[in-house]
Amino acid sequence: MLSLLAMVIDDSSAMRLILGRIMRGLGFDVVEAPNGAEAIARLESGIKPEIALVDWNMPVMDGLAFVNAVRKKEQWRDITLMMVTTESEQSQIVRALAAGAHEYVIKPFTPDAIADKLALLGVLA
Amino acid sequence: METSTMTYVPSADDLEVITREVWMSFLDGDPAGLVAGGSALGEDRVTGCIQLSGMYVGAIMLELAPAAAQAAAAALFGMAPGDVGPVEVADAVGEITNMVGGNVKSMLPGPSTLSLPAVVYGQLTLPGVQMVRRAELTWRGQPLAVSLWRQGG
Repeated sequence: MLSLLAMVIDDSSAMRLILGRIMRGLGFDVVEAPNGAEAIARLESGIKPEIALVDWNMPVMDGLAFVNAVRKKEQWRDITLMMVTTESEQSQIVRALAAGAHEYVIKPFTPDAIADKLALLGVLA
Repeated sequence: METSTMTYVPSADDLEVITREVWMSFLDGDPAGLVAGGSALGEDRVTGCIQLSGMYVGAIMLELAPAAAQAAAAALFGMAPGDVGPVEVADAVGEITNMVGGNVKSMLPGPSTLSLPAVVYGQLTLPGVQMVRRAELTWRGQPLAVSLWRQGG
């Protein structure tokens, strides 16, 4: 069976490692990007993940700008976007969901919380 | 924008609870691993800082004894403490500060914005802000502290 591809976008390499480990444990292949701009570059190079786990607070291009950029492109419309972030202010969560994020996980999280959200989204590998 | 003197400020207990939650999730599954109080931090420390702007103007700082910072980085990266270098320590302390700061921010008046975390070796002085809360903790025998700062005190 082919694995699904997840893109982990976070400026912390420790967090990319943790999320990558969780996603691999759930059967995904994983690609990483340290900010929204590099994630966009990977998408433009032809990488097409089923899901992107997106931090909010990043240099160069933050998570909200990434969500907005992805949602503007027809060919990326079917990528599921899940914010995984410390940004827990209600108004900011609403902004991210309104911009096109499908789900929202607040750090710190447990592996089960990630798996539960993926199940809810129907993207578990 | 200057904050009102009536602004709710999370307590030192709130800071401790949030820090404990981060520790339990990523650094130490032992609920008794992180304990309140303990010895004071020395001059030699690693400091993570995240600044807040908007309805609340201030900062959240995480200060760790170097050995605690190294152990935290090792736990976060899944490495042996001896294999951890300054890059891993800065990344880990920055991300832990980000997690603690983001959750403290959710208890403060909003909307406000978090800066990217900054990490320095040593003490950090921020002009124009005063400390309003501080929680002192001990992990694996090493001191650490989380503090909330506000513009104008």
